[in-house]
Amino acid sequence: MLDKMMKTQLFAWVDRRLGLEEIIKSQLTEYPAPKNLNYMWNFGSLALLVLVLQILTGIFLVMYYKPSAELTQGGFTVAFDSVERIMRDVNFGWLLRYMHAVGASMFFVVVYMHIGRGLYYGSYKEPRELLWIIGVIILLIMQGAAFFGYLLPWGQMSFWGATVITNLFGAIPILGEYIGQILVGGFAVGDPTLNRFFSLHYLFPLLLVAIVGGHIHALHTVHSNNPEGIDVHKPEEQINFHPYYTIKDAFGVAFFLLFYCYIVFFNPQLGGYFIEVDNYVPANNLQTPAHIAPVWYLTPWYTILRSFPDKLMGVAAMGGSLAILFVLPFLDRSKVRSARYRPMFRLMVIMFFIDVIVLGYCGHSAPTSVLKVVGQIATAYYFAFFLLLPLVNKFDRTKPVPEGI
Amino acid sequence: MKINKTLLAIGAISVLLFSTPVMASGGGAALSHAEIDVTNQKQIQRGLMVFADVCMGCHSAKYVTYRGLMDYPEIGLTRIEVDELRGQNSLLTGLISDLTIEDAIISYGVAPPDLSLVVPGRRGGADYIYSLLIGYVHDPENKVPEGNFNAVFPGNRIAMPDPLSWLEHDESETAELKQQANDVAAFLAFIADPHQNERRAIGFWVMCFLVLLTLVLWRLKVEVWKDVKH
Repeated sequence: MLDKMMKTQLFAWVDRRLGLEEIIKSQLTEYPAPKNLNYMWNFGSLALLVLVLQILTGIFLVMYYKPSAELTQGGFTVAFDSVERIMRDVNFGWLLRYMHAVGASMFFVVVYMHIGRGLYYGSYKEPRELLWIIGVIILLIMQGAAFFGYLLPWGQMSFWGATVITNLFGAIPILGEYIGQILVGGFAVGDPTLNRFFSLHYLFPLLLVAIVGGHIHALHTVHSNNPEGIDVHKPEEQINFHPYYTIKDAFGVAFFLLFYCYIVFFNPQLGGYFIEVDNYVPANNLQTPAHIAPVWYLTPWYTILRSFPDKLMGVAAMGGSLAILFVLPFLDRSKVRSARYRPMFRLMVIMFFIDVIVLGYCGHSAPTSVLKVVGQIATAYYFAFFLLLPLVNKFDRTKPVPEGI
Repeated sequence: MKINKTLLAIGAISVLLFSTPVMASGGGAALSHAEIDVTNQKQIQRGLMVFADVCMGCHSAKYVTYRGLMDYPEIGLTRIEVDELRGQNSLLTGLISDLTIEDAIISYGVAPPDLSLVVPGRRGGADYIYSLLIGYVHDPENKVPEGNFNAVFPGNRIAMPDPLSWLEHDESETAELKQQANDVAAFLAFIADPHQNERRAIGFWVMCFLVLLTLVLWRLKVEVWKDVKH
């Protein structure tokens, strides 16, 4: 079909002015990809799909949403009322809102799988260091966008989550208090906070689009890694992105939509994981919820924060746990990329995945003395995994990598 | 190896999808299961009557308008019934209690929460509402005044005085009161998300389509890839 389209006169007219044929060839029909990519390589295209869905649903939600913390009848606010208006009175507003709320969580599901794949198969290693680093920037912006967005319904967890997180800045010496006040727009979370978070919640996805463009550009410069983690140059080891990976990604999209739509249509709150129970209660600055916890995708970092008795140390550790991802390519100097041929690293990285899930569980649950210790051990391993990498490579008996795929 | 990992990934996603959080209920007592059906017009209408006669003495449901009581087919009141219910109120106003929040605070010490979103807004949902209404007991330590001790309410001391008179009822009324508690839980579960039945009905067809689409794309993928040796 693409071939036929490219032979039309209209295409020739556009091509002479845009160089479209060259782009299609170099980026799709003659873009070489290793032929042995497994289904773990589907999560990149899925992340792009969810980003587009979030932006589209978000644009329509903004047509009805009102960012105002002005009180209305019964302890509600204009913002909360406008969300309920979307849910009840706007045609298919419920669909837009649930797609957006579930989409936020599913975005993190696919991106965490994507990052996990990169870790396991060594996709961050030479020559893909910048590709990885751009990816970490995307993760940080995503977390920011999700945090800002969660304030908008102005429910109890919106309000108290924002209060807890913005208070963290106070722990930073000298400038901290000032930064906190700038972020909140006053001395406590209130109407100015809601307005600036709304503005930033619209800005961050635009930044995401630009940086995702950079991510894809970097990928197409260095080309995909593969499960064997070896360089692939021979023509018989490569296949063209289109049609092979376009159809495989399309299949992946349909499979993903099965899960996504099941949640959207049948269980949008997902038992309080995707939309927290307390967020159906309007924000009340005089009543703290019994247990404040961020949404599941931020809980691993919340545990790291809580694992330190000193607030500043906790904040520094939380920042450090994300910052350390930037230097991962330089900590791990092993020549072998894929964990398949690095027995000790393989064990460590699988334990790291379990560790992050444990961290998430601890952050989601109400704090107990046992969970606190478990969280501290998990935090220790989180950092140990990265910091031990230079050492492990000295002892890891790597298996010989195959000549080709 | 490859299949194992795929299975592992699917397993990990399924755990996330189908697990429900285990939350400690603050009141201690286990919740009873509410027999509710948010597609049952009869039950929702009976629940509305309990809501209007009992709950609305103090509580509002501001996001549900009188018009909504006609427009949502799951409630489906007639115009005459709605007119009788709303009195002087406009069709477009919500179900707002006559008791002002100031008066409520003078009488009970707290503002009665709006009930539009009470089912998703409480751990346990409709089961919690049902259990709360039939959860009034005598305080074993005799500290809390009669009618303010509830087995399932977090902290047990509740400002709302026994709305269904559960404490004083005799055996012959048990079934009737449980029915009322069930019905009002069903009504509240429905109004929390009035498009939920439409959503599930559309969802069924969406899932059917997606299953077909996934199968077609899977076969297409296999067909396109059949000459790639890997």
